[in-house]
Amino acid sequence: MKSHLFFLLSAGLFCVSSAWSQTATFTNFIRQVQYPSEVVWDASVASSGQQLSQLAIDPGGARFELWTVSSVGPTSFLLDSNYVGTYIPVATVAVRSEDNTSAIPRTRADRPFYVDLVVSGLLSGASDPEPSKSVKFLRHVQSYGVEGTGIGIDRTQATLMTQTSVTTNGTQNLTFLINSIPGADRSKVRGEERFSVFSLEDYQAPESQIASKYIQIWPVADGSMTGIASNQLVRYTLPQLTLTLNDLYPFSTTYVQAYKGNAALGTTGTVVPGSALVINDSVPQSRVLIVKDYDSAFTTDGRWTLELLTKTPFGLDRLAYVSFDLDRTMKVNGAVTTIE
Amino acid sequence: MKLIFAIPVLFAAVVPVLKAQGTRTVVMREAATHTDLTGVYRKSEQADPMRNMQPAKGSDPSIVNQPKDLVATSDILCFGGIATLVPKRAILNIPKNLQNRLTFLPGSNIRSWADFFALNRGWITTVEVSRVQAEGNKAMDEIIAERVRKSSNLVVATYQGGPISVLPPKVTVETPTAKP
Repeated sequence: MKSHLFFLLSAGLFCVSSAWSQTATFTNFIRQVQYPSEVVWDASVASSGQQLSQLAIDPGGARFELWTVSSVGPTSFLLDSNYVGTYIPVATVAVRSEDNTSAIPRTRADRPFYVDLVVSGLLSGASDPEPSKSVKFLRHVQSYGVEGTGIGIDRTQATLMTQTSVTTNGTQNLTFLINSIPGADRSKVRGEERFSVFSLEDYQAPESQIASKYIQIWPVADGSMTGIASNQLVRYTLPQLTLTLNDLYPFSTTYVQAYKGNAALGTTGTVVPGSALVINDSVPQSRVLIVKDYDSAFTTDGRWTLELLTKTPFGLDRLAYVSFDLDRTMKVNGAVTTIE
Repeated sequence: MKLIFAIPVLFAAVVPVLKAQGTRTVVMREAATHTDLTGVYRKSEQADPMRNMQPAKGSDPSIVNQPKDLVATSDILCFGGIATLVPKRAILNIPKNLQNRLTFLPGSNIRSWADFFALNRGWITTVEVSRVQAEGNKAMDEIIAERVRKSSNLVVATYQGGPISVLPPKVTVETPTAKP
C-alpha cells in the first residue's frame, strides 16, 4: 500500500464557458476510487495547494478524479483523472499551442500544436508484470458540431485516431501541423483533440487512464463589410457600414482600418472609429456591428481602402476589404455677369 | 568637416523613411480558407508524428473504464439554500422526516462536504469507519451499527473526515467439513 500526493487545480474552473460562469457557481471535488474494491472516498480539499491522500492505496491501485460541479443542474465536469498503482508507470502529457492565454489549451483550425509526452517508471525485466513494462498512448478527436461549444459533450463518443505502445522511459515532443477533427470545411471545424496515456490491464484493475490532456480547436473567423461596393464613388458623407463577423476567436480584437490607395496586404492604416470589437471569452463569438459617422478616418479625397482585420495570438488576419474612390469636394459652377 | 555637418541632415531624412517602411512590415495574412487548409491537412496526415510509434492492439480503453459522472454516482444533501455531494453508499441512515433533504432544490449553491457539514451538524451525524470496514471486509461494531439505525439524524460514513462509500459486509461461505 502506498499514499499518493495529489495536486488541486483551482484553475480547472476555466473550462466552462462564460455563459455558465455568469449564472453558476462551481465547487471542486476530488474523488478517489480504490481498485479492485471500488470503494469511493471524497477528500476534503482546499481550492488550491497540495496534500497527501489519507486513504492508503490498495495493491490494485486507485483512480483520482478532479471534478468541478456547477450549481446549475447540478452538473459535473471532469477536469482530470489519474490512475496510480504499485508498479504502474508514471506519465504526463502537456499540450501547447501559440495561444497561451487560456487555462485549457486551445488553438485555431489552421494552426499547429505540440504534445509533450513524458513517461517514467517503465520496467524491462523478464519477470516484471506486463503493465509495468508498457503503456498505451492514444489520440482521440471529437467534433463539437456546428456552433458547438463542447459543454456537456459525451467524450465516449470521441473517435480513436491512433493507439500506440510506449515501452521506453523518456520525453517525446510531437508536432502536429494541423488538427484532424472531422468536418467538411477544414477552416470551420470545432472540437477537441485528446491525448491520453493508459495502463495495461492486469488481474486487479482494468486499463486505466494515467494522464490525459486535450486541446480545443476553434474555427477560422470570417466576415464581410456591406455599405460600400468595390470601386464605388463615394461623395460627401461616408455611408453606414454593416460588419458581419462569424466565429471570432475567443481571444481577439477585430476592427476596420482605412488607408489611402489600393488594397495592399500588410499595410497599417487608421482604425475606423466605432469598429473595434474585443473578445475575451472561452468560445468563439459571432456579431453584427453597425459603423457610422466615421468620416474622421479619411483625411483627404482620393482612392481609399477599408480592411476588416482580426488580431489573435496567431497574428493579424484580413477577413474582407473594399477599395473605393472618395470625392467630398464641392465644385460650384457659376458665372458672374454685369449689365451696363 | 562638411561631411560631419551632413550626417545629422542625412539621419533626419532617412529616419522618417525607415519609420514609414516599418509600418508596412506588419505580419498580416488572408484568413485561411478550406482550400488553403486541404493541402496542409494532407501534409499533416503524412507527417503525423504518431505514425512512427509502435502501434498498440485492443479496443479503446477510454470507453471501457471512463470515470462515471460525479453527480450520477453521488447522493445529494440539500438544505437552507446549499447542497453537497457524497458518494453513494456513504449515507448509512436516512430518517423519514429527512428524506426530502436528499433532493436538490434549484437555486441552491453547491458546497464542499466540509463546508456543508459545518453548517448542518444539527441534523447530520458522521461515523468514522476504517478502510477494511469500507471495503466490507469487517462489519461495523454492533453497538455503533445499532446507534446508526436508531439515530434521528442522517448518518454519513466518513474516513478521515471525508465521506466514504461502505460496501455491504462480505458473507463468508462456510465450507462443509468432512466428518471423520
